[in-house]
Amino acid sequence: MTKIQERPTNVLVVGVGGQGVILVSKVLAQLCLSKGLQVKQSEIHGMAKRGGTVFSHIRFGPQVWSPTIPAGEVDVLVALEWAEGLRWLEYLNPDCGTFISDTQHIVPPFACRNRQRGSEDTYARETPAEIIKKVPNGFALDAAGMAQELGNERTSNTILLGILSTTLDFEIKDWEETLDLFVPPKTVELNRQAFHIGRQWIENAIRTSEVAPVSELYEQKFFPEEKGLVEWEFIPEWCKGCDICVKMCPERCLKLTPDQKVEILDINDCTGCRICEWLCPDFAINIRKPVFIS
Amino acid sequence: MSNNLSKEFNIRDYLREDLMPHFLCPGCGHGIALRALLQAVHELEISKDQLAIVSGIGCSGRVGAYIDANTFHVTHGRPLAFATGLALARPDLEVVVITGDGDSLAIGGNHLIHACRRNLKMTCMMLNNEVYGMTGGQASPTTSQTRYTTTSPKGSIEPVFDACKLAEAAGAGFVGREVTLQMPSLKNLLKKCLQYDGFSFLEVISDCTEIFGRKNQLGTSPEMILNQKSSMRPDSYGNIVDEPFRPNFMKTGVLALNERPEYSATYRQHVARQLKSKEKK
Amino acid sequence: MSIKYQNLQGNHACALGAIAAGCRFFAGYPITPSSEIAERMSLELPKHEGVFIQMEDEIASMGAILGASMGGVKAMTATSGPGFSLKQENIGYAAGAEIPCVIANVMRGGPSTGMPTRPAQSDLMQARWGSHGGHPLIVITPGSVREIFDETVRAFQLSEKIRTPVIVLYDEVLGHLVETLPLSGAAHKITERKWADESPETFMPYAETTDLIPPMPRPGDGYRTHTTGLTHAEDGFPTQNPETVVKAMKRMLDKFELHQSEIESYETVCCEDAEVLVMTVGISARAAKHAVKTARQEGIKAGLFRPITLWPFPEKAFKKIISKVKTVVVPEMNTGQLSLEMERLCPKKTKIKSINRIDGEAIAPKEILSLLQSVAKK
Ligand code: SF4
Ligand code: SF4
Ligand code: SF4
Repeated sequence: MTKIQERPTNVLVVGVGGQGVILVSKVLAQLCLSKGLQVKQSEIHGMAKRGGTVFSHIRFGPQVWSPTIPAGEVDVLVALEWAEGLRWLEYLNPDCGTFISDTQHIVPPFACRNRQRGSEDTYARETPAEIIKKVPNGFALDAAGMAQELGNERTSNTILLGILSTTLDFEIKDWEETLDLFVPPKTVELNRQAFHIGRQWIENAIRTSEVAPVSELYEQKFFPEEKGLVEWEFIPEWCKGCDICVKMCPERCLKLTPDQKVEILDINDCTGCRICEWLCPDFAINIRKPVFIS
Repeated sequence: MSNNLSKEFNIRDYLREDLMPHFLCPGCGHGIALRALLQAVHELEISKDQLAIVSGIGCSGRVGAYIDANTFHVTHGRPLAFATGLALARPDLEVVVITGDGDSLAIGGNHLIHACRRNLKMTCMMLNNEVYGMTGGQASPTTSQTRYTTTSPKGSIEPVFDACKLAEAAGAGFVGREVTLQMPSLKNLLKKCLQYDGFSFLEVISDCTEIFGRKNQLGTSPEMILNQKSSMRPDSYGNIVDEPFRPNFMKTGVLALNERPEYSATYRQHVARQLKSKEKK
Repeated sequence: MSIKYQNLQGNHACALGAIAAGCRFFAGYPITPSSEIAERMSLELPKHEGVFIQMEDEIASMGAILGASMGGVKAMTATSGPGFSLKQENIGYAAGAEIPCVIANVMRGGPSTGMPTRPAQSDLMQARWGSHGGHPLIVITPGSVREIFDETVRAFQLSEKIRTPVIVLYDEVLGHLVETLPLSGAAHKITERKWADESPETFMPYAETTDLIPPMPRPGDGYRTHTTGLTHAEDGFPTQNPETVVKAMKRMLDKFELHQSEIESYETVCCEDAEVLVMTVGISARAAKHAVKTARQEGIKAGLFRPITLWPFPEKAFKKIISKVKTVVVPEMNTGQLSLEMERLCPKKTKIKSINRIDGEAIAPKEILSLLQSVAKK
């Protein structure tokens, strides 16, 4: 008789370049290895630029053959970015799969652009509440925000790892020790903290079945209210929050919002010098000045 | 396109908006270079229908696709070869090549020097970000010594190319260099390139913020672009020869300007002469 | 009207064929034994207001002709072994982006630098499969100087019509062979590319038209499209959507299927009742023809099947003939490339006998004849 355990456990970690997908999967793979399990990990990160889609399949068990997970057989899907999570949803086991996702939106990479001509918006519209309802077990949280609170936004992947750890049958101590191996020595303590923040969150979440709120970031559009001589036009969908305009504006009248978009503090301060327009690599700012006909 | 001038430049008129936002990383200098090019095109009233953009492979190569013009995204290192064919066959087109440091100095180095030598009318804009960004940050022929890349994990030890000197030595009639921070001046240089009757080569020092910047801890995007300021030198400074060649010590502006016969015109004159002498006989 | 005759070398015939077909752009790089094509082109093209350019290397010349072709001018290049290897990447680009172009490859002995002045037929498979990634294209293997001329004309016609690279493949012997042929003043049919003429707003550069060949946008005509070597959707922009990718690839393959009757070209000699069939191309087929005719005089039921379009292989025509054949003889100047194809196409019971020469000499009729005789005796 075949034992249940002989079916490998399938974990899929997805996100975009630069988020630390590979770290999460390496920790898990190493942990399984140290427990004497067979592990197969296969990943894609050819578009290594930030924003390229990155995913990693990890399969472990007493015996694993295929390196990739068939659709519908993912036991745990960990998404470091919201739209990436949605992209892979069909891989989740529809009966008992667990979906864990950061609600953070990373626009506008390849990953989440709808390339259809004439399509209006570029980002997935589904809200976490809608998705959580659809999957057998679902958790959506603002890990990026939590990581920021912790003092290092790059630990959001470890927070998610903490959550992942609650769905698999390994000792906390082993998780911690394996995690230590892969993070930069200076950040060992920080990452352990992040790991536990994740675990705590899920405990609370299970208790209160809470779903973290998502920002309505992509709804808003900015137009200066008071029309001075200069019109400062902003295309939020194109802005990538690089901060160049903010730091270069001689009048210091721009500000990066927590959503990594730009807003103008006071249009009357703007001299229309166009520096923000010229140096925005993403063409998100347009300066309009009235034309005087003499 | 007579009303172009009266119309203020709006970059959206020159972009394939349905492909936007573009896929470059946050803060990537290539976007700024693209704006400079489009604004130059606008100010010279070049019709989009007559504009042909040929680009190679890499982050620089993908930039072309966002331009609402005739865009050709060709094989790695070969945009100058394709452009040579295109410009010779269709002298009516305004051919602009967008290439990168790896694309035009490494795999396509031969095409670059011969394009300079031939002096066929086209503009070659080389976006120099010191790295192969698309493939994840490997060392390129312009990676400064001591810089870290994924293929020089302990710091690069290879000497680098000074692309402008190379182009000038190879005979390019117009050679220029500018940093993205100086967008308006970059645009003006591009205008000069587009107006030059021959092969014009422009090196654009562009920041690879996400890959190269991160790996070398060069700071945030605004910090990186601001650093270009301290790295610029007026013409009189020249390249500081004793230092290992670094972008920080580059000259900017027009670096060479020579009137040389343009190849396509020379070819056609040459052919016309042949035909005439034959008629006489 | 009396017909004038002229002595023409194979390589020159190739150049003149190109001119007759409307080729107005040539980029090349010197290489033995194909340099005469470039030389002749440098003489002829200026007379026809065309452009000749000698590029810095083989890769560049391939790139340049694609640039010219994308600009709307019929273009070709010529090369041989090592140069042909260098051109492969851009040949793949031409196949993928569906850019018409003609490449003449005059085969010489290999591998590597090999025997530059000696003939071979060792690029038959490379011509088909040389570029990475798997792509369709057309390879034509003419067998005489006359045919080099005609087939180069046809190469342009096919290339322009079907939007594909076409390779004209022959060996050094044919390239340097001088034959007498009638100088015809007749104009050849110049195939015009199907240019886009619909509204630029709705135009899709890689749309699935009924003939599966999308019209090409000419730069300057207001289409402002994108051409890329990345796998692209109907709008020309890159995609990795599995369905779109498969659809695009399928159209590209089906295009050749649909126009097979036009692409296909072959010659048969005494095939009706042949029991032993010689199958080969180019110069070897000339020797084979002689051998077959002699064998027939001796009462041997021999026949010859000679693909003129080698790839895609004229499978249907071949299969019709092969059913009655007991033995297939494959003479070729390589270590056995066509015989592989024969193993694929022939029924199991058919015997396949190869004659391979790799010493830089052409196969003589008597070599083939004696094999035919020994097969017949058994
Ligand atoms: S136009 Fe000048 S002053 Fe106004 S927001 Fe932009 S940089 Fe600041
Ligand atoms: S420079 Fe452009 S992309 Fe960067 S933060 Fe400002 S508006 Fe956004
Ligand atoms: S990898 Fe570097 S060069 Fe490429 S898009 Fe990103 S920042 Fe720009």
